[in-house]
Amino acid sequence: MIPSDQFVRFYNEVFKFLDAQGGDALADYYRVVSAQQEQHCLRLFKEQGLAGMKAYWDRIAAEENCDMTCILYPDRFELVMRRCPSLSKARDNDAGAFPRYCDHCPGWVIPLIEKAGFTCEYDIIDRSLPQCRMTVRPGQAKSPSRVILSGQRR
Amino acid sequence: MLRYRETGELHRDFHGSMNAAVEYVGRRYGREGLRTIFRATAQRVYRSIYEKLKVGDWSELAGHWRYFMDREGAVYTLAETEEALVLTVHRCPAVARLHELGMAPSAFFCDQTVLLNEAWCEGTPFEAVTELTGEGSCVQTIRRRI
Repeated sequence: MIPSDQFVRFYNEVFKFLDAQGGDALADYYRVVSAQQEQHCLRLFKEQGLAGMKAYWDRIAAEENCDMTCILYPDRFELVMRRCPSLSKARDNDAGAFPRYCDHCPGWVIPLIEKAGFTCEYDIIDRSLPQCRMTVRPGQAKSPSRVILSGQRR
Repeated sequence: MLRYRETGELHRDFHGSMNAAVEYVGRRYGREGLRTIFRATAQRVYRSIYEKLKVGDWSELAGHWRYFMDREGAVYTLAETEEALVLTVHRCPAVARLHELGMAPSAFFCDQTVLLNEAWCEGTPFEAVTELTGEGSCVQTIRRRI
């Protein structure tokens, strides 16, 4: 059994394997993960909207030992990750981190958020830092979902 | 001493993520695809366990099993003799979590144990035998090759 504490280091190896297959293998996998996550989140997000998202990620913050703040505003939900345990473990790892490890989060989150009727701006900031910021707004917002790297080192 | 020794809360839903991951890879790339990933996990992620096994020392593997089986609330016994290290799992916490989530274990779910143990023993004085004795129970034996 891979301990739940160490799943992400296995996940990191899955990403390396799928990336090595080429084509859309990794993107296809993110879509499958997103569909699987619907079982945990979709009803909550549809029925409770932004408050449901805060409830979900507040639980994740505790269970995954994140240094993260989830803030609910009247018009949006913001998640500010100051220390991501997932990337931190992938990097504290004798096998080394997959260089685009962070991409799996928006890869599964955005399709699910959109299916629930919202749009999402996911700022990975820098793939080498265990920090990110996500802003979710109701689907009628002007901006489509997007992923940005606002702080990526050149 | 363990290379990885997490503390704090547990996110047991990762067992559900594991179920989906092995199902995805197993269906598309077969057991050989899974074997590739578990070999990398056993020999690179858990490099310190593997390096010790290569020189005939299972102490870190025993410590890893003991620590994480306790942490996850498994019902198990761990026995050591001169010839073998035997982990008998009576209630697997990963399978139990799948049941709590209403998920059926993938046909590949226990490959996380079978293929990981096999990869840990490659190129070592040991061989791994994993006997699945029921849904959520197994006997994992690391024994010296004759």
